[in-house]
Amino acid sequence: MMAFLARLGAPVRGFLEFLGDQAHLVLRTLRAGLALRSGQLAVVGGQTSLQIRFTGLDAGLLVVGTALLLGAVTLIQAFSQLSGLGAENYIGTLMVLIILRELGPLLTAVLVIGRSATAISAELGAMQLNGEVDALAAHGVNPYQYLLLPRWLGVLISVFALVVFFDAAALAGGFLVARLKYGVTWGFFMGSVRQALSNLDFTATLLKVFFFSGAITFHACHFGLRVQRSQTEIPQAVTRTVVSALVAVFVIDGLVAAVFYF
Amino acid sequence: MIQVRGLVCDPPAGRALLEGLDLDVSRGGTLLVTGTSGSGKSRLLKLLAGTERPRGGEVRIAGVAVWPGEGALALLGQVRMGFAFAAGGLLSNLSLEDNVAMPLRFLGLPKPEVKQRTLDALERLGLASVSRLRPHAVSGAARKHTNLARVLALEPELVLLDEPLEGLDAADRAVALALIEDWAADSRCTLVLAVEESSGFHELEVQRLDLHPLPWPAEAP
Repeated sequence: MMAFLARLGAPVRGFLEFLGDQAHLVLRTLRAGLALRSGQLAVVGGQTSLQIRFTGLDAGLLVVGTALLLGAVTLIQAFSQLSGLGAENYIGTLMVLIILRELGPLLTAVLVIGRSATAISAELGAMQLNGEVDALAAHGVNPYQYLLLPRWLGVLISVFALVVFFDAAALAGGFLVARLKYGVTWGFFMGSVRQALSNLDFTATLLKVFFFSGAITFHACHFGLRVQRSQTEIPQAVTRTVVSALVAVFVIDGLVAAVFYF
Repeated sequence: MIQVRGLVCDPPAGRALLEGLDLDVSRGGTLLVTGTSGSGKSRLLKLLAGTERPRGGEVRIAGVAVWPGEGALALLGQVRMGFAFAAGGLLSNLSLEDNVAMPLRFLGLPKPEVKQRTLDALERLGLASVSRLRPHAVSGAARKHTNLARVLALEPELVLLDEPLEGLDAADRAVALALIEDWAADSRCTLVLAVEESSGFHELEVQRLDLHPLPWPAEAP
């Protein structure tokens, strides 16, 4: 009986430890951010801009291309199924419900996990093995300020920008289909979208961006920094980062939907 | 400067390396840690630097509690420390010059001073010609010297050197040795050296600590 209970309790304990470690990382990073001195801002700013380049700029084309196709395919499918029911009157509602509210932030997060969370995790793992993290701390460079804070800020700014571009490109893709299929004008299309949009959608999207970027960064940092002994731990850390960050993002998405729209 | 009480550490393999070590090194003093490979010299340096957590015991540097405590993070802004690693330790995405300059930039020193101290340190270690290269593009000896240059530029109160002469040819050894002698002679600088062979350091007035590997624990029948 005790063995059975222990077997049940072990994963729960592991999960709680993981949550505790995540909270510790977030709090230490926030504290390190507040303790930044003016002379250190240039170093942290430089690292942040590098992260924005890798996570935001380098992913721009991929995100815009994906969104363009998704926006177009969404309306093609909607029109093919609902053409007899006056689907053209619900263009705005469809775009807002499917793309702007849900798929925009969610797919952007998935793409960022695939491109950047994996890279952050592998990079930090390699740095751990090479003694670089220890070297930073031993030379007076706070690793939370040099490694974690710029990655968090960089991912936060990038995810926000990518969601904006994703939504814009998806709307453009949707408009192209609506225009070609029903001759819908730009004014009618945007008016329909604007009518379906509410302030609640903006708030929910901003919250998602904030929590998604935090989950992506701190999951990657957690698993990357746990690499201790061998290079074979790096791919394991990357895999765990992807699985764990995806679960976290979907849970956050569900929670935000429940709080705002249920 | 360094106070250690009852230090105990376990390596990953499960064999105890240090059992109840007590140690005092005064400000400006020099400690030479010797011992065969696997006796725990590097680990002792990491424990002193606060980058590795001991199983038990206390470490205080300049009165700041490192263990039990936050390790190296407790020393940030309190004690200026430099650590030349036996291997690795350089940021692989930065040039040698940036590796040396980065801790100085993080201290918030003015740009001209950062540049001057970096150039001086690289010059002294004979790295000026390769300073724009990254660690993977230079020899092992150059990487070792870059570790020393980073410590030199920082002008630390506490210098930790792990096998600083290992793998260096005669010319490189002479350069490193001259630097180590300067640190040992500097009354503001406390120096801890970990070496397998103490033969190169006979002329230094040092406190010595000889580590011996502890036996493997007996297996249960």
